[in-house]
Amino acid sequence: MVRAPFDEPPPFLGSWKRVYAAVAIYLAALIGLFYWFTRAFSR
Amino acid sequence: MRPPDWAVLVASVVIVTLYGLWRGRHSDNVDRYLRAERSLPWYAMALSIMATQASAITFISTTGQSYVDGMRFLQFYFGLPLAMILISAYVVPVFHRANVYTAYEYLEQRFDAKTRILVSLIFLIQRGLAVGVALSAPAIVLTVILGWPDRWTTLIMGAVVVFYTVMGGIQAVTWTDFQQMFIMLAGLFLALATAVLLLPPQVSFLDAMTLAGAAGKLNAVTLRFDWNDQFNLWSGLFGGMFLMLAYFGCDQSQVQRYLTGKSITQSRLSLLFNAVAKLPMQFFILFTGAMVFVFFTFEMPPAVFQREALARASRQAAFPDVQKKFAMRFEERKRAAMSLIEARRNRDADLLGKRAAEYREAQKQFEVARNEALRLAREASGEPSLNDANYIFLTFVTRYLPAGLVGLVMAAIFAAAMSTISAEINSLATVTVIDIYRRHICRSGSDRHYLVVSRLATALWGAYAIVTAQYARNLGSLIVVVNQVGSLFYGGLLGVFVLAFACKRVNGTAAFTGVLCGEMAIFAAHFYGKIAFLWYNMIGCVVVVGSALLVSAHIERKRRQLHG
Repeated sequence: MVRAPFDEPPPFLGSWKRVYAAVAIYLAALIGLFYWFTRAFSR
Repeated sequence: MRPPDWAVLVASVVIVTLYGLWRGRHSDNVDRYLRAERSLPWYAMALSIMATQASAITFISTTGQSYVDGMRFLQFYFGLPLAMILISAYVVPVFHRANVYTAYEYLEQRFDAKTRILVSLIFLIQRGLAVGVALSAPAIVLTVILGWPDRWTTLIMGAVVVFYTVMGGIQAVTWTDFQQMFIMLAGLFLALATAVLLLPPQVSFLDAMTLAGAAGKLNAVTLRFDWNDQFNLWSGLFGGMFLMLAYFGCDQSQVQRYLTGKSITQSRLSLLFNAVAKLPMQFFILFTGAMVFVFFTFEMPPAVFQREALARASRQAAFPDVQKKFAMRFEERKRAAMSLIEARRNRDADLLGKRAAEYREAQKQFEVARNEALRLAREASGEPSLNDANYIFLTFVTRYLPAGLVGLVMAAIFAAAMSTISAEINSLATVTVIDIYRRHICRSGSDRHYLVVSRLATALWGAYAIVTAQYARNLGSLIVVVNQVGSLFYGGLLGVFVLAFACKRVNGTAAFTGVLCGEMAIFAAHFYGKIAFLWYNMIGCVVVVGSALLVSAHIERKRRQLHG
């Protein structure tokens, strides 16, 4: 079986560092959204 | 369950099982059987990772947790994306390059054989305790639906899972997980849609959100820090991150999923998919529980959701009065809910605040009446720890969903259970064979021999799961129990892997001592401290690393003294 090289660049965003940063920003945005959700409906 | 429900349930179980057997038909050597010859694409691993974590407990217990305690359990998963980033960056490349079958095999390459076996045994104890709980959840399902005895349910369920896992190995496990995840998502979506559609016509979706929020069920984020509070933003982000690091980075039941990847990139993508998708999915599940709560604001629920316990409570002399009070409190809460909805529509802020306070008070009184019924049920059953949270979602599904949909939701719950149990017994067998049997008992067997032993070990762990599931039924909210048991051991596991990856100077003896110290610290915190379980992972990890560094420094000092 022909194996892919062990470490390749990600298929998007150019580098793994950028992919990880995007995931971290996504998490921060999601927590912000959930916080808004909590505040909006908890009277 | 009606005939269409049975048709959907049986068809889904049969199709998934046959598909798994077909995908695993070529598992005729150890590498294929335990590691799929490292050939799997990211999407198969991604959904397998997700399905393995989402057990039947997730469906049954998380929705019940949300009904009782609101959505704050969501915060438990806040650390997951951070853990996935760290594992993708630092753990995946190391495991791939080490070319290992298990995470613990790497520990011998890095430290020594005694550290490997200690950590392997910790994994076997911890995962062995959890596998019975995972199998007991579907037993709860069939007990509610059919009143079948638990032992038959666990036996049938367990036999199906063990059969395809023994025959097809990791290929069967991964590809059945892949299909099971789609069934789960479909079941979940339909359950939520039905809960909303079955609300009274005068109650809109926004009204339902207002009611759930006013009752404290939409409390997805709590900023206040408290060591004793299990679920807040900080315990979720930091404590949760440590737990997820341990679970996805050191627990073979998860590590084995991404060890099957055809490259580092494929394995990384599978983990990062989970980093992105897990929180919305968990939100969705908890929100379903909150909507079931609103549904039961307008439709009278049973005073106790567990049918057998309710029957026993109803034979008590005090029950008629308790039931009467419960019905009265239900009507009061319903009226308060309608008043709150009216105030919301009138856009009168003062009135809205007043009505919300009245509704909260009505909810509190309703809870008092429900707790009174639960107390009677506990007395009548002779089970002081009886908890009906695991039966709430099932009561909703079986009583109110239309024919066909009940079968689909049941299929989703079964799919969730099967995916978790198959991965767990597969990983338990892998560690037993690779880290114990092949390393310490029979070092020179043929590939064929180890394949047969792997199948046998899978069957034995399956049998063990079936037996232990009999005792897991009344452990309270199952999702919390599983995570609490895991937290007793994960800190030690995580600590030793942090040492392996980050502390190049630490040797095997120091790591071994560190793990023992870490475990002692966790058990001391559990039995003598008043700290929420999410922090155990962090405490254990810190103690392992700290004590190993101390021992390592001591060894180094001795060595220098010895050599002048």
